[in-house]
Amino acid sequence: MAGNRPIKFRMLELFSDEQPHWNYEIVEKIQKEYNLKGNFYRDSINFDLIELASGGMLKDVESKLDDKGIYKKGFLLHKYMITDFGKMRASNVCLVYV
Amino acid sequence: MDLQELKKLEQKRRVRYGYMWALFCAVLWGLWYLPGTVVWDLNPFDEMFGEIAAASGDDVSLVVTAVLISGFNALTVIIALLVWNGVLGKYGEMKRTLKEFKPCSKWFFLGSIFGGPVAILGSFIAMGFVGGAFAAVAALMYPVVGSILASQWYGEKISRRAAIGIFMIIIGGLIIFGGGLFAELGSGNIGWIGYLGGLMAAVGWGIEGAIAGKGLDIAEPDIGITIRFLGENIIWWIILIPLLAITGFPMIKYALLAFEPLTILVLVFAGITFGFCYVSWYKSFPLIGVGRGQGIGNLYGMFAVIFIILFFGDVPSWTLLLGGAFCLLGSFTMFSEETGGLESLRGE
Repeated sequence: MAGNRPIKFRMLELFSDEQPHWNYEIVEKIQKEYNLKGNFYRDSINFDLIELASGGMLKDVESKLDDKGIYKKGFLLHKYMITDFGKMRASNVCLVYV
Repeated sequence: MDLQELKKLEQKRRVRYGYMWALFCAVLWGLWYLPGTVVWDLNPFDEMFGEIAAASGDDVSLVVTAVLISGFNALTVIIALLVWNGVLGKYGEMKRTLKEFKPCSKWFFLGSIFGGPVAILGSFIAMGFVGGAFAAVAALMYPVVGSILASQWYGEKISRRAAIGIFMIIIGGLIIFGGGLFAELGSGNIGWIGYLGGLMAAVGWGIEGAIAGKGLDIAEPDIGITIRFLGENIIWWIILIPLLAITGFPMIKYALLAFEPLTILVLVFAGITFGFCYVSWYKSFPLIGVGRGQGIGNLYGMFAVIFIILFFGDVPSWTLLLGGAFCLLGSFTMFSEETGGLESLRGE
């Protein structure tokens, strides 16, 4: 199934394990699954995460400064978790939700 | 700088991006009024208006011609959007989103019904049966509809400050178009259909925004807006234009005559301004919410008047200055809002 549903759907699916995930982990995973290489896509995918968080589907549970350049040196890394609203939207889009 | 401060800064940046997009939308929307006004005087639309007016009267002719112009507008918009998505490398995601009709792309198709035939046509009807100023004032009410719907339907938070800002921008617009409005309403003998058109504009764009907000939860704005215009093209070119042609209006004849260099140039300019105005509108929604995005988008009224003065050399009246001051004050009220409460735009 990987790589053939819209990116935000897949993101909600990845978060539906109700575990917190770091943004760079998710971005890397999506880049690999959808075969989207390069920094432009990296930033574009990260922006999808920002939109999901701003829309209340994910919440920011932890942040740290990226001083080693894991993702983007000098920027903040965010750990997100799905919210109840996010779960509801995920089930609306027919993602398997247990 | 500590972590908390950095987080705040990032938050602020996100909101600033959102407002920047909404402001782009307003400027481009205002700019669109130049080709949007000029195109009526160009052939084949000028001739078409004349021919239909002779047979069925000015009012009917205006609406029928508006359908063809809106059709061409939607066509050039979708071309601009396809180029834009090509540059961003988003065709793959577009295909994936389109395939998810039931959970996702249906929202954008639904949005195209409200934004296209309801709002745009309503706006033209208001223009034709009442007047341009009335149409403009009616459309200014759309953020009220949009933000109430978004808050009732999916709990979008709208702060008191944002509501005051939206209200002030509406007052500003009312002052800018007020003189014309009273002149139009005072002329008497206005059919209910004109008011219905005004209502269609306010409600149409308001509902479109709220619906788009729903779809944008799970789709990217660049793609959402392209699907929305795909829908609008279907409505004009596959449903309404053929329908009017069957009823006997010379739609096909004039559609084929549109390929004159100057007309095409103006239509392309309309497509670029309208297309990117909509891209910016949709991009602002996930970042600052439908209510704020539409509130700032409402500045289009002021920008349209300013651009028309600059390009057509009309003399600005004092109402523009006073109304513009209200618009600026309203925008500033919104821009200067403390962003701490905006971490999530929805109530938890």
